[in-house]
Amino acid sequence: MDFSPIVPALPSLWEGMLLTLKLLAFSVIGGVALGTVLALARLSSNKVLSLLAGFYVNYFRSIPLLLVITWFYFVVPFIIGWITGTNQPIGAFTSCLVAFMMFEAAYYCEIVRAGIQAISRGQVNAAYALGMTYGQTMRLIILPQAFRKMTPLLLQQSIILFQDTSLVYAVGLMDFLNSARSQGDITGNLHEFLLFAGLIYFIISFGASTLVKRLQKRLTV
Amino acid sequence: MIRFSQVNKWYDREHHVLKHISLEVKAGEVVVVCGPSGSGKSTLIRTINQLEPVEEGEIWIGDVQVNNPRTNINRVRENVGFVFQHFNLYPHLSVLENITLAPMQVKKLSRAAAEERAIALLIKVGLAHKKDAYPANLSGGQQQRVAIARGLAMEPKVMLFDEPTSALDPEMIGEVLKVMQDLAESGMTMMVVTHEMGFAREVADRVLFLDHGEILEDTTPEAFFTNPQHDRARQFLKQVLAPMHG
Repeated sequence: MDFSPIVPALPSLWEGMLLTLKLLAFSVIGGVALGTVLALARLSSNKVLSLLAGFYVNYFRSIPLLLVITWFYFVVPFIIGWITGTNQPIGAFTSCLVAFMMFEAAYYCEIVRAGIQAISRGQVNAAYALGMTYGQTMRLIILPQAFRKMTPLLLQQSIILFQDTSLVYAVGLMDFLNSARSQGDITGNLHEFLLFAGLIYFIISFGASTLVKRLQKRLTV
Repeated sequence: MIRFSQVNKWYDREHHVLKHISLEVKAGEVVVVCGPSGSGKSTLIRTINQLEPVEEGEIWIGDVQVNNPRTNINRVRENVGFVFQHFNLYPHLSVLENITLAPMQVKKLSRAAAEERAIALLIKVGLAHKKDAYPANLSGGQQQRVAIARGLAMEPKVMLFDEPTSALDPEMIGEVLKVMQDLAESGMTMMVVTHEMGFAREVADRVLFLDHGEILEDTTPEAFFTNPQHDRARQFLKQVLAPMHG
């Protein structure tokens, strides 16, 4: 075992980590936003809307993420080209981002839905009784309380997503894991690089998870 | 001010909770609604701001029919304050924010104007010093007084109270009733669902007695307490008055 080639490779590993984090951040933001819209649709009294959202959620929760990533890699450029009328390639990063957002939205939706349902009916009634609209009630009263309750679960889901971002190797993106692998190939120390990558994933995921648990305790007190 | 005309309501199409309700409440009147639990009294006042829909009949506030689908119910609710048994303050907002939210969002008042009004109301209910506190740090009686101030901040024409003291510890009931009495004396039109017969006797202009979704008595407090017309009203009075008079 020779771990010394890792040191000169650190800049490219860091590049990979930046891509991983960028992908994660945008996917979480987009996924939570889309997930919230889906949750409101699922809870809507409009049967069609609620059925469509339910179908979306169950569909994406029933197929592998890797399938979504590869599928979107081929389909998303085609759709975007069709919408914009141009034929420019959009790149693996954008297609992966869209895939993660849409896939994770299904999971975030269920978390947000449970969060909304945990808020007592009295809160909705109190807002309605003062003349607030559905939109005002959700935005100002229900969602802020639901998100406060749900933050730990949303973060836990995001830690899982952090690990799942490594699946982008399938479409050749140089995320952290993929750059570790390629650096290992170049230097001929693949095992050491993979062990190192595993250690970093562990430290970040376990550290974040511990922080979330602490936050959860503080929120329930 | 408030008018019910042949209102009927069913739960799940079979449980008839309001039966042929016809009723008029005049401006400035204070009406206490009482009756055994399950009699439909809470449902009755919840239909006025359409927190509960009705299947038949008409409900009017002034010249607006509230259960007409073409009526913008939010405009009606702006003018009808509602106080809940469990207060339902917004736990993530301070006392001041609880009161200013709807005036700013619904009536588009400026923050300064809304806060000025909120503080005046907090002084009225004796809680100005709690304006930055959060609901979780208030007693039940204090929370209910804030809830009343929150309703009044919309400058409603009518205030509805749904068992406002039922969730309170006994020593806090008085402070809430005092606020309601002041409000009644200021000329507010009020409908109050309550078991507080002392309040009914001293403050109400009229008492309604409901049982099984029907209005059995609609009379003055004196007549209601001294000479109820129905057996069920007599039984009810015996039950609610007994513990008070030992």
